[in-house]
Amino acid sequence: MIAGIDLGTTNSLIGVYESGFPTLLADTDGRRLLPSVVHYGDSILVGHEARRMQAIHPNRTISSVKRLIGKRFGEEGTEGLTGIPGAPVTIPIGGQNLSPEEISAEILKKLKAIAEARHGTEITRAVITVPAYFNDAQRAATRKAGELAGFSVERIVSEPTAAALAYGLDRLQDRSKIAVYDLGGGTFDLSILQLDNGVFQVLSTHGDTRLGGDDLDQAIAALVASKASLPRLSLPDTIRLHEAARLAKETLSTEEQSTIRLPFLEGGMNIEVMLTRAEIEGACSPIIRRTRIHCLRALEDAGIKAADLDQVILVGGSTRMPLVQHLVVEIFGKEPNLSQHPDESVALGAILQGAILDGSLQNVALLDITPLSLGIETFGGLMNVIIPRNTTIPAKAGEMFTNAVAGQSGMRITVLQGERELAADNWKLGGFEIPFAPSPKGAARVGVQFSIDADGILQVLARDTGTGIEKIVEIKSAVEVSDEAVEAMLAGSLEHAFEDMDARIFTEARLKAEEMLPAVEAALAQLAGELPPDEIAGIRHQTAEVTAALQSKETVRLKQTLANLDNATQSLATRLIERAMKIS
Amino acid sequence: MDPFEILSLPRRPFLDDEEIATAYRKLAGALHPDQQGGDAAAFRELGEAAAILRDPARRLKELAGISASHPFPEKAAELFSKVAEILQRSDALIAQTGMASNALTKALLMAPLKSLSLDLSSVQEQLSTWRIFLEEEIQRIDRHWPESDPETLSHLADSFAYADRWSSQLRERELALEAILG
Repeated sequence: MIAGIDLGTTNSLIGVYESGFPTLLADTDGRRLLPSVVHYGDSILVGHEARRMQAIHPNRTISSVKRLIGKRFGEEGTEGLTGIPGAPVTIPIGGQNLSPEEISAEILKKLKAIAEARHGTEITRAVITVPAYFNDAQRAATRKAGELAGFSVERIVSEPTAAALAYGLDRLQDRSKIAVYDLGGGTFDLSILQLDNGVFQVLSTHGDTRLGGDDLDQAIAALVASKASLPRLSLPDTIRLHEAARLAKETLSTEEQSTIRLPFLEGGMNIEVMLTRAEIEGACSPIIRRTRIHCLRALEDAGIKAADLDQVILVGGSTRMPLVQHLVVEIFGKEPNLSQHPDESVALGAILQGAILDGSLQNVALLDITPLSLGIETFGGLMNVIIPRNTTIPAKAGEMFTNAVAGQSGMRITVLQGERELAADNWKLGGFEIPFAPSPKGAARVGVQFSIDADGILQVLARDTGTGIEKIVEIKSAVEVSDEAVEAMLAGSLEHAFEDMDARIFTEARLKAEEMLPAVEAALAQLAGELPPDEIAGIRHQTAEVTAALQSKETVRLKQTLANLDNATQSLATRLIERAMKIS
Repeated sequence: MDPFEILSLPRRPFLDDEEIATAYRKLAGALHPDQQGGDAAAFRELGEAAAILRDPARRLKELAGISASHPFPEKAAELFSKVAEILQRSDALIAQTGMASNALTKALLMAPLKSLSLDLSSVQEQLSTWRIFLEEEIQRIDRHWPESDPETLSHLADSFAYADRWSSQLRERELALEAILG
């Protein structure tokens, strides 16, 4: 038996395939959703108990650890954590440094215990879901978490794909095209699938691994803080505020208004703020609108138009917001399909994938894809794609390369994942050297073949056609960096550690001022005759202040005057944008 | 490996996209390694074969056999300069917008961005007109099939390769603009 697990940013679930049905397993209190929160106290608490500890012991409790899994220090999303840039992320908690895998493993252990208690047998095999847009390192780290929890991880499956399985199970005779819009606690994915007689073929996927309900809570918390003119809050109070923001968001999905009450904040403050649905929609809209471009890209890659879709299925807790549903109508031009349970369908799909793997569910095939392009670095530092994104896996593809320099005695194969043209902008998965006999330019020929298995694990084969020498390398988790590499990175970062912070901040502000001042002149020239004289005078006054601050070389003063100038020119920017939109 | 044979499709220049997709799915559903009797190596080969058939350029090359290099198609040369010019302009303007550190500088770039987006659509339209012409060429050759000369086939294959590559490069910029302009 293979269990299916949805390891979510906010909540996690587990279930098994029983007498022909996917069944989610509940804890002894009958709850199926396990909060993805871990508390490190005298003992380790996971789930509801851990969540209760969060406001009391914020430093010993961690939530949303999924946002850090497979990350390295210095990457987007690791702000606030200190470590050697480039080294795998660790989180200081309860006096030790823990990896996100280790923390996630605690959640998985708890799920395993719940399932075993419920089911009465040991459960050792599992399918675990990840966001479709997770890269290789994030997938490998999730697999590692499963292994640390005592599972043999049979498959890592994409969340929207799993949801599509759950949706399509009782429509196996159908032939249709569907989109799955998955907005969870921390990540967003849009996948397009073709369903055809039990074959589920993923056509394309796009997403943002840093866009979800957490970001909406943060925006609402910021709104409350500004409405109540709150000072900087202590960590426990910040957590209480976020929790209140989350509850308000949930209430406002069905109600028109809600009041946030936070009594006994530090310093004896009590706050009471009334929020309307329109207000939180104003705060959340810019975040939710970021999903639009991913939808357009996925349609583009699938080679179809929104009108060709038969259904747009919503999953993920955040799709409960009416605002999300409105945006989906705007993007796809049709009412979304709400038949799937937003919190449960991904887990149900994971159970189904497990049942396909152990043979208990037959005549259903899932054809998944690799979400990001795979390639190698070429001589000029560019990315040469070998397996394009959205290729069905297992897959293989190859290309022939020649030596770029005469007398070269080997070639470095650097394996990359990502969509950027420059090699350096993509994620480096690994590399190796293939030797060949020194020869004139273009004479040595090396064949490179990529092969991906159903788990997305990449094997790279390089063969020198002259000598027949070949090398096969399995690309393992990129998150495991060797000790020497860490030392090298450490040495590199120390060289820059002693830079004068204040000088750097002033330089940044000076560059901004040098960009801003000519921009103001250009905008005033373009809008001459449209602006009231007193507004022009106000702006002129602020530019003079910035110029004076530049000469004074006072960092704080420069930053302040720049902020004032930004404010004073807001209406200029709006006018310019309105003008631009009239061009046709 | 004969991609036509693997997918049991006729060895012809014109193949309907939907026909390829359906043939692929049917075989892929049975060959996927998760299935009983599945075969990972055969599944990978099927994937490669389908990728060749889906891409008109690669499909025509397959029919023409491997051929020597030939001159740049005439129409391609004409469009190339337009495509190159607008790609360069787009990249410069998109990079400039990305570097703008304040709202006003960004707002000043909105008008040029908007004009750029109109110009991009216009070049894209010319490319798609050309692509339609190429599609008709395939159909024309298909009607006389198997009578054809390899030179015409590889010429057409190259044209498809250029048309599709340029179109996706332009589309990439159009989407980047879309993300900026909202």
